[in-house]
Amino acid sequence: MDDYTIGVLTNIGLISFIALSAYLLIIAGEMSFGQQGFFGVGAYVAGVATAMYGFPLPVAAAMAMGAGAAAAFLVGLPTLRLRGLYFAMATLAAAEMFRIVFELIHFQREIDGEPVGPDGTQGFRGIRWVFENGVEPAGYLAMVWGLLFVVMILFLLVERSKLGATLRMLGEDPELARMLGVHVERFKLGVVAAAGALAALGGALYAHHNTYIEPRNFDIMLGVHALAYALIGGLGTAFGPLLGVLVDIGVLEGSRFFQGYRMIVFGGLVAVLLVFRPRGLLDEKVVHWLRARFISA
Amino acid sequence: MSALLEIRDLVTAYGKIEALKGVSLEVQQGSITCLLGPNGAGKTTLMMTIAGILRPRSGSIRFAGNQFAGHPPHAIVAGGAALVPENRLVFPNMTVLDNLQAGAYQRRDGEVDVDIEKLFQRFPRLKERSNQNAGTLSGGEQQMLAVARALMSRPKLLLMDEPSLGLAPLVVEEIFRIIAQLHQDGVSIFLVEQNAHMALKVAQHFYLMEQGRVSFSGTPGALAEDEVIRRAYLGSAKV
Amino acid sequence: MIFDLIQNTFDGLAMGASYALLAVGFTLIFGVLRRVNLSYGPSIMFGAYCATWVHLNFQAGLLALALVTIAGAALAGAYVERLCFAPHTQGSAIAAMVASFALWMQFEEVVTLVMPKHLYDFPPMFEGEPLAFGPLGMRVEALVMLACALAICFALHRLLYRSRFGLAVRAVIDAPVAAQLAGINVPRILGLVFLLASSIGGLAGWLIVSTHTQITPMLGMWSTLKGLLAMMIGGLGSLPGAVIGGLALGILEAHGQWFLGPQARDLIVYLLLFVLLAWRPRWMTTQSAS
Repeated sequence: MDDYTIGVLTNIGLISFIALSAYLLIIAGEMSFGQQGFFGVGAYVAGVATAMYGFPLPVAAAMAMGAGAAAAFLVGLPTLRLRGLYFAMATLAAAEMFRIVFELIHFQREIDGEPVGPDGTQGFRGIRWVFENGVEPAGYLAMVWGLLFVVMILFLLVERSKLGATLRMLGEDPELARMLGVHVERFKLGVVAAAGALAALGGALYAHHNTYIEPRNFDIMLGVHALAYALIGGLGTAFGPLLGVLVDIGVLEGSRFFQGYRMIVFGGLVAVLLVFRPRGLLDEKVVHWLRARFISA
Repeated sequence: MSALLEIRDLVTAYGKIEALKGVSLEVQQGSITCLLGPNGAGKTTLMMTIAGILRPRSGSIRFAGNQFAGHPPHAIVAGGAALVPENRLVFPNMTVLDNLQAGAYQRRDGEVDVDIEKLFQRFPRLKERSNQNAGTLSGGEQQMLAVARALMSRPKLLLMDEPSLGLAPLVVEEIFRIIAQLHQDGVSIFLVEQNAHMALKVAQHFYLMEQGRVSFSGTPGALAEDEVIRRAYLGSAKV
Repeated sequence: MIFDLIQNTFDGLAMGASYALLAVGFTLIFGVLRRVNLSYGPSIMFGAYCATWVHLNFQAGLLALALVTIAGAALAGAYVERLCFAPHTQGSAIAAMVASFALWMQFEEVVTLVMPKHLYDFPPMFEGEPLAFGPLGMRVEALVMLACALAICFALHRLLYRSRFGLAVRAVIDAPVAAQLAGINVPRILGLVFLLASSIGGLAGWLIVSTHTQITPMLGMWSTLKGLLAMMIGGLGSLPGAVIGGLALGILEAHGQWFLGPQARDLIVYLLLFVLLAWRPRWMTTQSAS
């Protein structure tokens, strides 16, 4: 594989994390405009941990997930009762606050005679753990996809369990869930925190892939893209968000065929697709049909 | 008498579930026809399909010689049928007067104000409250407003979906008095009702619907004689 | 100090007037459709770029440019309505919203294909000194903006409460099924409201770019965000609320900018929005939005 292909594939993996985190919230009945905030928290926390304090990446990624979950918990706590557009706007407000805080943070240490660390709008350079530890691009690709694989296994296990059924019931009819004894608020808070951790993990990996991050990487564009990927791919299975990312970044950007027209093609495709499949390509019906045909047969 | 409304083999479905499984019935010109049936039988689905809110999967709805099936609601109103929906559905944040004006939305003649005056004579309570928001009215008043709003389109056929639902007995009597009056004035009425006792006093023809199908058709006399129906809908009371 | 406060409030009112117009358009669409049109700002940007193109290629006066902006925004709005909202009136709100986001991407790419520079000059609405009231100054553009916002609000109020079209719009907002049963052609009303809202957005867009005298593709995201913010602060779904929300946002930003700088200004705005949403005072709960 040439470096370009490896780069595209790594990107698909990275963005899949935030798309999955948006997907998790959608099936639990909430639409978030703010997953980019937790993605950014993960990127900054992991970057600070490896580049400034010398932690190994796995430890830093775990710290990022913890920070992402904590941040999501704090955002989720006062907004639990909100639904629909109210929740979306509250998460957007939170994510924009994170982004502005990234712009305001100037926190650097001298390392090998050079200042390292977040420098406000100038961004945060030199997150070089991957290079310093001799990880080749292909090796990093394997790491990203390996983690994604683990996450997918978790998703598939959850979706086939009672937990998954509760999750979907929460999305479709929270009142029914409440009557059946689900602690709706507590459950939702758990989902919000898990989605925050997932996005933060993606952010941590993203920071170490790019070696440079800046606050505007984490603006609303990223969050709405994540939402769009989840919806295009389909809300029937966790493979949906992956498919969404693959279609956009993989096929359209990767092919270089639509150079300069990619967004026109992508935008039009998405809008037309949603007319015919408002819950995405792999929606519940398709997934049900595929299962019946290929798995239980 | 001739059939004003003629429904043949009507099928309406929500996804894969058929709520109407081939309904056929007729409403004669100048009559009051009543549709009875248990909850979930498909009565409201039938009314919403006639009014154009729901699209039928197959079958025909002929009204005064025109095909109605699959037409949008505003075309149905233009054709001369108006629905007084279940639970009334007035415009809660608009005044009583605006509600009536909205009912006359399609009319371009200059007699809208005259009709409003006439309706105010028929429903004096609405006149007293004409500048009040409809949401502040009592249930009975809202029902009258819903009827009045439907009448503002000058319909040939008034479709009424359970007008007595959730109303006090005295108010129900008033509603049925109004139905009888409207009938005398020449409006044809197709009425969905659970209150068979009241319906028997006004209707000339009855249908019974169960699980998406018409299971009985007959006169009030035939209805009262049917042992099963009497037990289910009229209780032990003598008719 | 006291003059700073007054001056800031003046400046904030002027900016707030443009936010109010943006929020009014947003609110009209949200009111009848219960859907968020993320492409609202990008449609405005498209209209403003049409005007910029006309300006670069022809001799066109101010009024002509304003009309081109409005027409371009309305055209873009109609495209969005047909493709993203008309097919989804029964279905899911999120599909409509994501579809409108997809078209946002199209608008951005179309304008950068045709006009690839990052920044273009836009002819100013007024060339001359600001009006002076003692130590206080007021830009003429700001007065025009305020006057336009007031005029539009007045005209909209007349339209909604004194016309047959307005009666239908209010009926659709109040009870969509009942509106259909009353014989109102609801899809047609929705389309017309969309056109109206996009046109108001176009006017706001022209006022904004001809005050700033320059335009970038960021205008799209900026308009969507500011319009959404003002609409939410004003309580979602009420037109007077949208106006008050817009003016409040403008004044808050002006003070924040002056005393604390641009980043803290935005931080305060988002913090306020977050707190308002979490706390949900009574005036924010008048309309449900799920």
